[in-house]
Amino acid sequence: MKWSQFFNTSIGKKLLVGATGFFLCSFVLVHLAGNLQLLYKDGGKAFNTYAQFMGHNSLIQFLAWGLKIVILLHAFVALQLTISNRAARPVKYQVNPGNQTSSWYSRQMAIMGSILLIFIVVHLAQLWAPFHYSEMPTQSYEGVSEPIKDLYSVTYALFQNPLWVVLYVVGMAALSFHLVHGFKSAFQTFGLNHSKYNGLINFIGIWLFAVAIPIGFAAIPVVIYLNK
Amino acid sequence: MEHYNMNLTLKVWRQKNKNAQGNFETLQAKNISSEMSFLEMFDVVNEELINEGKEPVAFDHDCREGICGMCSMHINGRAHGPWDGTTTCQLHMRAFKDGDTITVEPWRAGAFPVLKDLTVDRTAFDRIIEAGGYVSVNTGNAQDANNIPIEKHKADLAFAAAACIGCGACVAACKNSSAMLFVSAKVSQLALLPQGQPEKRTRALNMVAQMDKEGFGSCTNTGACEAECPKEISLTNIARLNREFINAGFTSEK
Repeated sequence: MKWSQFFNTSIGKKLLVGATGFFLCSFVLVHLAGNLQLLYKDGGKAFNTYAQFMGHNSLIQFLAWGLKIVILLHAFVALQLTISNRAARPVKYQVNPGNQTSSWYSRQMAIMGSILLIFIVVHLAQLWAPFHYSEMPTQSYEGVSEPIKDLYSVTYALFQNPLWVVLYVVGMAALSFHLVHGFKSAFQTFGLNHSKYNGLINFIGIWLFAVAIPIGFAAIPVVIYLNK
Repeated sequence: MEHYNMNLTLKVWRQKNKNAQGNFETLQAKNISSEMSFLEMFDVVNEELINEGKEPVAFDHDCREGICGMCSMHINGRAHGPWDGTTTCQLHMRAFKDGDTITVEPWRAGAFPVLKDLTVDRTAFDRIIEAGGYVSVNTGNAQDANNIPIEKHKADLAFAAAACIGCGACVAACKNSSAMLFVSAKVSQLALLPQGQPEKRTRALNMVAQMDKEGFGSCTNTGACEAECPKEISLTNIARLNREFINAGFTSEK
């Protein structure tokens, strides 16, 4: 079987979704670690110097563009699979088992993924695009040679609007439900289902990726809004 | 358990043939014993229909002891009805009570077209088996089986996978109509044994390719198949199929 055929089989496509999913899991971990600096009460020094570094380091920028491609690949292949999966049952059942045979969130990966994709587009338009492509107020800090863009204050201004706070919390709820199934599902797709490791995989999938990380992200807009 | 009789209302899918438009028909099942099997209940209903000069409901059945895999039926939203690890012929009417309304549908999947009423065409499974679910048998005398050492645990796993009766409940239960549990059981029962090693790679590649060609969906690991499988085939088999497929795809020379 040639590579082109291999990655066109149902399992081959699932491997692409799983591999890109793992990369995105590693991204949310790093992204959260950086963003929690928004909660420092230091006038934005830590966060803004971090943003300045991330926005100008060429290796980071290379990865950042790779990240966007990975998101699109993940969404595109998953969409292809979803369309063919829906087509595999042309006549639907009158009575469905509901949650008797599978969990609700495991059946809603496409819906949660779509909410996340909308969230990502809005998020990039609100914070990433202005940071890179338009004028932004600057701020000088002691020990930093020249004034740097004040993304910290722009973010604080954004989350004075409760509408955006709600959107970000909804986006993170979608992330939670997406990852509570997605993380362990990707291991199964790669054939990693072993009684010695399943406990650890489930634990990390649930408590780190579906609970701690979404709550950590959602806390940023909520804390900023409540402290205004 | 105490015996009782019941009257039931059935909403049954009726479809004249493969190309006809089907619809639900409401039938009354009267005086049904709690000790009958679900198929025996249908026998009673059909007897009545024949006496009235009407067309009986077509459904698949053969051994009626839970090992052939012929009986199907999606009963109140569940493949083979509400009991776990049970085929429809082993589902007893004590699972229901007097006055219940039961909706009975055929397996729904593009790869399993309805032939008539509750009967579907499952030859797609046969074609998947033909694509690689076999071992090579050379000519000459069969060697003594005990000459091939097999670890007990592996033999047990292979046997558990081989319990698959090919009934199609996994496909019927899956929201994607995926046949992964079936294919994984058929690949696993051979991949676990020394006899299955010669065709190891081509088997995984060809059976998955045939599965896709038949129009089954892909697996999203919801676990509905494992929950409905009358032989309780484990999801670990799907992980094994994935390993076999990855291994074959990365190392096959063709």
